[in-house]
Amino acid sequence: MKKKNKLFSPRYLFYDFVKLTAGLPGLLLFRPKWVYESEKAKKRIRGGALVAANHYGFFDPLYVMFAVWYRRHRFICGKEFFESRARLLFRAFLCIPIDRENFNVSSLRAITDALLEGSLVSMFPEGRIAEEEKTGELGAFKSGMALMALRAKVPIVPVYVKPRKSVWQRARFAIGEPIDVAAEYAEAPSFATIEKIAREVRDKEEFLKTLV
Amino acid sequence: MKREEIIEKLRGILASAGDGTAPVSVTEESNLMTDVGLSSVSMLYMVIAIEEEFGIRFDDVGVGDFATLGDVVTYIGNKLG
Repeated sequence: MKKKNKLFSPRYLFYDFVKLTAGLPGLLLFRPKWVYESEKAKKRIRGGALVAANHYGFFDPLYVMFAVWYRRHRFICGKEFFESRARLLFRAFLCIPIDRENFNVSSLRAITDALLEGSLVSMFPEGRIAEEEKTGELGAFKSGMALMALRAKVPIVPVYVKPRKSVWQRARFAIGEPIDVAAEYAEAPSFATIEKIAREVRDKEEFLKTLV
Repeated sequence: MKREEIIEKLRGILASAGDGTAPVSVTEESNLMTDVGLSSVSMLYMVIAIEEEFGIRFDDVGVGDFATLGDVVTYIGNKLG
């Protein structure tokens, strides 16, 4: 049993400071609009959960933070960001590095540990910024998220962020009902199950797209 | 544990995680991606299953570090001493 996250800790100081100071300007700039799939989707996410969102631009992490504003997010990002000059910033923002070219066991452990501690881990299953803004299509979803959620027995929360055409446009998010993969796939999962969950999340994103 | 025993257990893992049929044709020379048909995620899933089955803990290895089933068998053999 993993130790649960503390509500306050020195390692959250920078994150919370930025969130508090940037929150109001962000609200004024983005004028976010939340759309929920159902009443169930409106319920606040408690404990460990995996947020899966579409990825069309560099500012998506900001939008996802607004979409589920009441929680601290731990974003999964490429290890190359941790090797750049901005590595301290990524650490301060509690990001979890992964090797996208050669996904390793330690990354998977770090992510499942964070989920088991009760963190909200956020990721973009497309892996990279997709061409959605140009083509209007979501990219293929990688199935790693399904493995992480199954290992930690946490739900996947699908979030769709509508691409903004201009800075004057409101930011719109659609939030889906959490997909309880542990309950749905209680028996020992197979390779096919993992792929099926990834398809299910992508289908849900396609549905959420129609709501905003 | 002998290499044959390790391979047999690996076949069992692949069978239970796959479509249920034991891949008897899988040998030490089988390439995990092209012959066995594993994706990077299913390889990680196999690593988790191996850890549970053999009671070992993989070091910081990536999915690209194992090309053939023989590489996995050697790694497990070394871990088991």
